Amino acid sequence: MNFLQLFAHNLTKGPFTDPFPFEPAPTAKRFRGKIEFDPETCEGCRKCEKVCPAGAIRFTKTANGLEFDCWHDSCVFCGNCEFHCPTNAIHQTQDWHLAHVQQDKFSMVEHGVIPSHECPSCGKPALYTAAPANKIKGFSEAEVAEFRSLCPKCRGKYLRERKSRS
Amino acid sequence: MTEHTVASSYKIPVGPLHVALEEPMYFRVSVKGETIENVELNAGHVHRGVEYLATKRTLLQNMILTERICSLCSNSHPEALAMAAETIGAVEVPERAQYLRVIAGEVKRVASHLFNVGILAHLVGFEALFMHAMQVREVAQDLKEAVYGNRMDLGAHCLGGTRCDMDDEAIAFMRTALDKIEPDVRELEKTYRTNGSILRRTRGIGILTHEDAIACGVVGPVARASDIQYDVRTAAPYHVYDRLPVEVPVLDGCDVWSRAMIRLQEAVNSIEILWVCLDHLPDGPINDGGDPYIPPGQAIARTEAPRGELVYYLKTNDEPEPERLKWRVPSYPNWDALTFMLKEAKVADIAIIVNSIDPCISCTER
Repeated sequence: MNFLQLFAHNLTKGPFTDPFPFEPAPTAKRFRGKIEFDPETCEGCRKCEKVCPAGAIRFTKTANGLEFDCWHDSCVFCGNCEFHCPTNAIHQTQDWHLAHVQQDKFSMVEHGVIPSHECPSCGKPALYTAAPANKIKGFSEAEVAEFRSLCPKCRGKYLRERKSRS
Repeated sequence: MTEHTVASSYKIPVGPLHVALEEPMYFRVSVKGETIENVELNAGHVHRGVEYLATKRTLLQNMILTERICSLCSNSHPEALAMAAETIGAVEVPERAQYLRVIAGEVKRVASHLFNVGILAHLVGFEALFMHAMQVREVAQDLKEAVYGNRMDLGAHCLGGTRCDMDDEAIAFMRTALDKIEPDVRELEKTYRTNGSILRRTRGIGILTHEDAIACGVVGPVARASDIQYDVRTAAPYHVYDRLPVEVPVLDGCDVWSRAMIRLQEAVNSIEILWVCLDHLPDGPINDGGDPYIPPGQAIARTEAPRGELVYYLKTNDEPEPERLKWRVPSYPNWDALTFMLKEAKVADIAIIVNSIDPCISCTER
């Protein structure tokens, strides 16, 4: 290896380091960064909570509904939650900016709520979760919306009735 | 006149925190003058209890936990765990996933070997070469980040296949990266073969004879540099390695230089394997949801990690958590061989010799 050549190459083609923080650092499209949660598409199966090796994801039942929390200070950014999520409700973004001051350490959390409401059919409280994709094959948009608003028991009834109708 | 008594030998501690060691190892070295007489190895400074932890986590969680045992062979750990679980559950891995597993493994091998030879240049005191080797490795790091989303922990595997598919864009990126890195790795190999500074510090240093190598049961590049032709990829081919041009380079130099040369030749071979994999990548599924049923049972799986043979033992029961998960990492036998390599060596060569086995203390002590 000719080090003079290498020197000339590095002098003309360099520098090879990124000038961060003076310029934004290039980030790969597939970069596995911060977690993003979408309560609209979550069906509340809690699989992400089960597969998270770091215990960063917690679901809590409150008066508001089912609350989702992903603690970014515990998260190891493995992407297991995204991989196992049946509805793509959780995914990793390209954002890796996680530096924060000490007093913010408990607020590095991705939060989402699956709201609780009254089941229009039986009046009992139910979670407004997304409908499982395998159950609503061939449903019209109005049917999906109606099915979604029901509680688990009424959903089962709805499915049975729909099947007997067809 | 007072009489001065001079002890014939001294004991000096090397580690657990030492400027020349990358990880917390602790050697108690008896020296006579500048020559090492005896070495005592002390282990346990980075014990984290991962084996116990693994029995408290489900298999799906362990796929991630095992990846974090070691950073440089992070791909081989979940790979071996998945293979063991797939043996128990008789899960068939799709062909495309098998190719993708090979690709992930070989990319990691290139990066790992370049890191080790780079550190060798650093320990020799050849900083310009060190910087250049790390710059070449950076291409492999960028490649991992672009395809898998992380520079070290790829997260490539899941039970029954791979997690990460390669689309045309990723394949094109990999081809560009390989085009860039291949001539550089060949050039590095030539430099390490001919450069006087490297040769003076590494030839004839840290000798592990063929007989001692067999007695210690060393694996990986350390074994192959002592004229033992053993590589799991050819001895017990897994995935699709039986269809790929795997070469097992062997040298009989038994010294630090031979180990570095083996690593560089393997890096070149890994790039060749990657080209073949990209050309022959079949279409099809890459996994079956990643959550297959694993019945109670036990199995052993072996893979060739960058440092050598990695053995996984998995015992499952009716619980989602494994009853026992145990691994034998390549650094474990290789580490023991250090006592032979360091015998009669000079104190100044300790760091170079220790680096030549590419020790991974965090996975040895888990």
